[in-house]
Amino acid sequence: MSLLFRIAVYVPVLFLIALVVVGQHHTTARDTVRAAVPRTLRWVFWSFALVVGMLLLEIVFIGW
Amino acid sequence: MMRSNIDPARGLGWGTFLAGFVPGLLQYQLGQKQRAAVALISCTALFFAGWVVVGERLFYWGLVEPAETGSAALRTAARFGLPLTLPELLNLPANALGAILAWDGSPSGERLWRLPRGLEHIAAFLTGASGMLAAFWSAAGHWDLRRLRDGGKDAPLAIANPALCAGLSWLVPGLGHARAGQKGKGLLMGTAVMVVFVMGLLFSHGHAVDRATASVWWIAQNLCGGGSLLAALFTGPLRMETAPANLDLGVILCTVAGLMNLVVMIDAFTVAERSVFPVKKAAEVAS
Repeated sequence: MSLLFRIAVYVPVLFLIALVVVGQHHTTARDTVRAAVPRTLRWVFWSFALVVGMLLLEIVFIGW
Repeated sequence: MMRSNIDPARGLGWGTFLAGFVPGLLQYQLGQKQRAAVALISCTALFFAGWVVVGERLFYWGLVEPAETGSAALRTAARFGLPLTLPELLNLPANALGAILAWDGSPSGERLWRLPRGLEHIAAFLTGASGMLAAFWSAAGHWDLRRLRDGGKDAPLAIANPALCAGLSWLVPGLGHARAGQKGKGLLMGTAVMVVFVMGLLFSHGHAVDRATASVWWIAQNLCGGGSLLAALFTGPLRMETAPANLDLGVILCTVAGLMNLVVMIDAFTVAERSVFPVKKAAEVAS
C-alpha cells in the first residue's frame, strides 16, 4: 500500500519536474506541456528499468 | 547585438566572480555609487534583522559544525564566518561580522548554538534572504558588465533586468518569466514548483521545512523563497508531537521544489538576457 502510494506521488511529480526542465527550451505553455508528456514517459521507463536492474543485482548478490 | 571578436561563452573572470560576494562592489566598480550603497545597506540590514534573533545559532546550521572537538582550522575559519552557512555565505561581509560578534568558543557558547529561539524560523529566513539578495545584486552587476563587454556602451536595454527576473522568481515562482514577457510559461512553471512544494508540506503535516531539524535540506528548500517564507511564517512554528509517517517524503518534495525553482530562476534570467543577446543558430556560429 505504501509502495502504491509513493508510486502515485512519483509519477505526477515526475511530470511537474519535466514541465520545468523542458520549459527551458520553449517559449509558450502549450509547447512546454506537449514536450513534457513524452519526457515524463521516457523518465518513467528509465525509472522502471533502474528498479528492475537494482532488483536483479539484489537477487544475484543477496539472493531471493 | 554582439561585438564580433568576443566569445559570448567566455566568463568575466575570477576577480569579478569573487567581487560578487561583497554586495555593491560590482556596482561601485561600474560607477553606480548609489546602487552600490543600496545593495550594501539592504543586504546588511536584512542579515542583521534576522541575526539579532538567531545570532550564534548560525554556526549550528552550517554545513560543517565547528565544534570544540573538530579541527582547529575549521574553528578559526568559523570565527570569521566561514563555516559554510548557506546561503548567508553569499553575503560575505555581514556574515563575517555576524560571526565575529557571535563567536564564543567555550562549551557553554556551543550549547547556545543548539538552543531554539522564539521567532527563529522567520529570523532564519531573513538571514538566508540576505544571502539570496546579495546573489541577485551580484547577478545584476555581472549582467551590466557583460552588457558593456559584449554590446558596448550603446547596447540596448533588456526587456527586464535579468537579475530582477531571477529575484522575482525566487519570491514568486514564475513571476520573473511574466516580467520578461512569457506569462503563460511562467504561470505553468511556477504552478509546477508550488504544487510540489505544497505537496511536501501536506505530506509532512507542515514539518518538512524546518531549519532547526533539517538544516542541510533547508538550503535547497530555500531556493523556493516564497514557499520557504510561507513555511517560516505558518508551518515552521508548529509543534511536532510525533514524526508524521511521510515526513521523509515531504522533506524530499520540498527540496525538489527548491531545486526546480533554481531552474526556473536561471531560465527567467536567460529569457531576459536573450532579449539583448539572442542565441545564435548553429549555422551562424559555424560561419
